[in-house]
Amino acid sequence: MVSRATAQPASEKSTENSMSVDGNSCIEVSDLNLYYGTFRAVADVNMTIPRHKATALIGASGCGKSTFLRSLNRMHELVPGARAEGTVELDGEDVYAPTVDPVAVRRRVGMVFQAPNPFPTMSIYDNVAAGLKLNRSKIKKSDLDDVVERSLRGANLWEEVKDRLGKSGMGLSGGQQQRLCIARAIAVEPEVLLMDEPASALDPISTLAIEDLVQELKQNYTIVIVTHNMQQASRASDITGFFNIDGAGQPGRLIEMDRTDKIFTNPANKATEDYVSGRFG
Amino acid sequence: MRVTLQEDLDQLEASLQEEGELTRRALRGALNALDQQDEELADEVIAFDDEVDACYLRIESGIQSLLARQAPAALDLRTVLAVLHVNLHLERMADYCVTVAKLTKLVAGVPPDQTIVDAFEEMGERAEEMIRVALESFAARDVERAESLVDLDELIDRANRRAVKQVIASGGDEERREWGLRMILVSRCLERIGDHAVDIGEQTAFLVSGEFREFTDASH
Repeated sequence: MVSRATAQPASEKSTENSMSVDGNSCIEVSDLNLYYGTFRAVADVNMTIPRHKATALIGASGCGKSTFLRSLNRMHELVPGARAEGTVELDGEDVYAPTVDPVAVRRRVGMVFQAPNPFPTMSIYDNVAAGLKLNRSKIKKSDLDDVVERSLRGANLWEEVKDRLGKSGMGLSGGQQQRLCIARAIAVEPEVLLMDEPASALDPISTLAIEDLVQELKQNYTIVIVTHNMQQASRASDITGFFNIDGAGQPGRLIEMDRTDKIFTNPANKATEDYVSGRFG
Repeated sequence: MRVTLQEDLDQLEASLQEEGELTRRALRGALNALDQQDEELADEVIAFDDEVDACYLRIESGIQSLLARQAPAALDLRTVLAVLHVNLHLERMADYCVTVAKLTKLVAGVPPDQTIVDAFEEMGERAEEMIRVALESFAARDVERAESLVDLDELIDRANRRAVKQVIASGGDEERREWGLRMILVSRCLERIGDHAVDIGEQTAFLVSGEFREFTDASH
């Protein structure tokens, strides 16, 4: 039987498959298995992701954490041959239900990628407005201006770009480009922001800016962040989930999930202990 | 594997054991100086505290460097935190030995009440044993043995209470009363050394379990 890993210490809550996290879950993942063709990349994940918290997913390369992340907004299935079994409930609704439009899911669950990827031919303004224009048929220019400013402020970028909104987004630094991508993602007002190694291509200052931003964004959004940087997980997240594989060719599994301070001071599982203390390999 | 981190942790623990040995030597010296009314030896004990302090500072510096450079987590982090506490407890124990030596000098020339001095010898032996048990159980991560320090401490506590009663009962002239007052402080120092040994035991339990708990309620 697969036990549900949650952010609630086992001592405080009891039975398998019935735990809640701080009384307010945003995403409920049940018995999730993810495949690339016949290869099962992620096995039997049960997870509760709390609302308005930053949840970090850590684990070695190939453990399935990014695959899992992409399954939360149905981007996993964009890979040819990829499929998901199990359920991912967003506010109680299974995003994999046959009647659900994956595009609508991705509007509610936004994503920021490892490398900043602003639209190269667009201005800073249009980069932020792009998602909104695609998602809504008609919007007044003044409303659009408001959304662009609010989104850039939300991404802590407004002061740096307000005088050059018409310039190309490619002229920004890497850290600024990544915050532009975050602004673009929050412009459509998603509930959840998925971040796949959002700072791995950035310098330390820009990295800290992103981590600070995560702390602000979680007031309004539920954040799930995949990172190889364990210190980043310990600094930026409230909850940490550890994924691992038993060996080459084996599927990734969620080993342990708990409050971040618990994971980094006194994890329950030996494999987690070895990973967070760098005693692996 | 993180070889450098492990080497740094091993070095810290070795230094801690060394500090414990220095503290025990300070305690033995203080007890001998008291028993033999040896002012010269008392001075040596006071000067010897510099050795303990140097060891203390070396460990603290090592911890600072390790935290800054290695960012330990989980058991490694708990080890560093526990070493930080134990380091301080050992340094404090050595300070109590200095206090005993200073009190010895203050009562030099006053004929001691041998019954009381003998009681201090017994208390001191127990305190020495407690330092040994505290550090051995820390090194072995032996929580059960660490918890045995509570019983050993109770014996010192009782001896402390007996010493106080004996001093009060001894009465005498002003010189004797002053001697008695100083000896109550000596007794208190030895009793506090026992308390710090128990505190080290609690760090062993924290290190192993990740949860800090006091072995006994300090309000009792």
